[in-house]
Amino acid sequence: MSSVSSNMKGFYRQKKNTITNKSSNKPPIHDAALSPSTTAHADEYNENETMLRQFDMNMAYGPCVGMSRKERLERAQKLGLNPPIEIKKLLENEKVQSQSLWDGSI
Amino acid sequence: MGMEKEKNLHRLQCSYASLDESFEISKESYRGQQYSHIYYARLNLMRSLLYSLVSNWKPFSPVCPVLELEEGKECVIIGTLYKHMKLKPRVLDEYSKEKSTIPLVKPHNFIHSDDYLILEDEKGRVKLGGNFISPSVYATGVVVALHGKESGAGDFLVLDVLEAGLPPQIDRPLKSREDKYVVFLSGLSIGRSNSNPLQFQLLIDHITGHLGDEMEQSIASQIVHVIIAGNSVEIPPGLLNGQNLASKDLSRIAEPIKELDIMLNQIAAGLPLDIMPGPNDPSNFALPQQPLHRCLFPGSSAYNTFRSCTNPHCFELDNVRFLGTAGQNVDDLDKYSEAKDKLEFMERTLRWRHLAPTAPNTLGCYPYTDKDPFLIDICPHVYFVGNQNKYETRIIKGSEGQLVRLICVPKFNETGVAVVLNLKDLECHALSFGTQLSS
Repeated sequence: MSSVSSNMKGFYRQKKNTITNKSSNKPPIHDAALSPSTTAHADEYNENETMLRQFDMNMAYGPCVGMSRKERLERAQKLGLNPPIEIKKLLENEKVQSQSLWDGSI
Repeated sequence: MGMEKEKNLHRLQCSYASLDESFEISKESYRGQQYSHIYYARLNLMRSLLYSLVSNWKPFSPVCPVLELEEGKECVIIGTLYKHMKLKPRVLDEYSKEKSTIPLVKPHNFIHSDDYLILEDEKGRVKLGGNFISPSVYATGVVVALHGKESGAGDFLVLDVLEAGLPPQIDRPLKSREDKYVVFLSGLSIGRSNSNPLQFQLLIDHITGHLGDEMEQSIASQIVHVIIAGNSVEIPPGLLNGQNLASKDLSRIAEPIKELDIMLNQIAAGLPLDIMPGPNDPSNFALPQQPLHRCLFPGSSAYNTFRSCTNPHCFELDNVRFLGTAGQNVDDLDKYSEAKDKLEFMERTLRWRHLAPTAPNTLGCYPYTDKDPFLIDICPHVYFVGNQNKYETRIIKGSEGQLVRLICVPKFNETGVAVVLNLKDLECHALSFGTQLSS
């Protein structure tokens, strides 16, 4: 699954570049004001965020728009899908972005 | 009860348990979630159920995801059906340049001989071919398992279909009891220009035991519960046009509800009454519809026998399990699929284990994220839908001995028919009222 998600992430970045280049009248997808961890040029996020984004993009746990990462994790647990325990730890203990990577961009 | 004559008649009672919890919207909130979540939840819950059935059904065929299909290899795929419909109205149609090529829509439904089915899982979708699976029977949103193989053209040739089948049922208490009757009503449409208050008053007098001789009253005393399955009022058309209302119109809008309250007051004074909202009632549009607010019924809501319930509504009377809707689910299936009668639609929803498969596609529905409240886990003993054109009923049997009484409750305003069900043996008959004097 990790290969799929990393492909998707590459896709995501390319797409974002084209949008920011072409449409000058629209604001970039991730506004800097939104939150520090999803800045407009999202190269700065750390390892935790990388893992969480891979979790966001893992289609086995369903769509991620419109619910927080924690809710999505809980849903996956409820459906018996055994989501990775690391994600749970991250969301509970670390100071991480609580919304999925698409939050605020749709 | 005002039934004292020579001897006192006592109304029978029965125990009641509301099971509406899953249909109540309390903590849910809208945070931009889309309908993909409800399909995801539905597919996941149904798939784990179908997995357990597949091993008995096709023990030698592997289950594989849509994207891993190989040409000519027989296998089982599980996913959500999507029905591509030529005639289904789309918002973009009015901007289409080729208007004339779209055939005219039949007045009653949107099916067309060119419709075809597509099976989707999380990652892929495949068009279904072959004559085994008929698109007119199925509707968008149904989860099934299919056995077949990929044909050369990239279609999936369906050789067999597995539906989840009737859910498991809790046994009905067998000890033989006295006759107890439950009355179903729907489509009172109070406030419509042709509404006939006398007809409804006759019904009320009958069930409260104010009508007929002692024989009839003793039957009336065996009625233990009344269920009103939606569309109790009809707001006069033309009033709700988006404009601000004049004060005299405000009172006109409230009139049907006031009248309903007066009528229900008489029932609630005598026996328990459940009222469900329907598409015309002042409740929310999207399923599950929330209970009509108590302040709409200042008179009746003073009684603890008066219960305002959700639509769909699930409850137990003396451990007999009831499930029902105001009819939206079946009416919508009627627009997008075909059956010989409404009961067949009802039977299908039970076999698909989903009350309203076309929600959220063509039927309004709350955007749940972590569950699908319309999945039927436990088979009801009585399954009813309101606001149908005529009274129909049938008993269906499941493979594990489940027994379900299906009831189409007709619109009372148009037919003058209420439905009476005997809790003892689930026998059912119509109760017909007329106010015309025959000449």
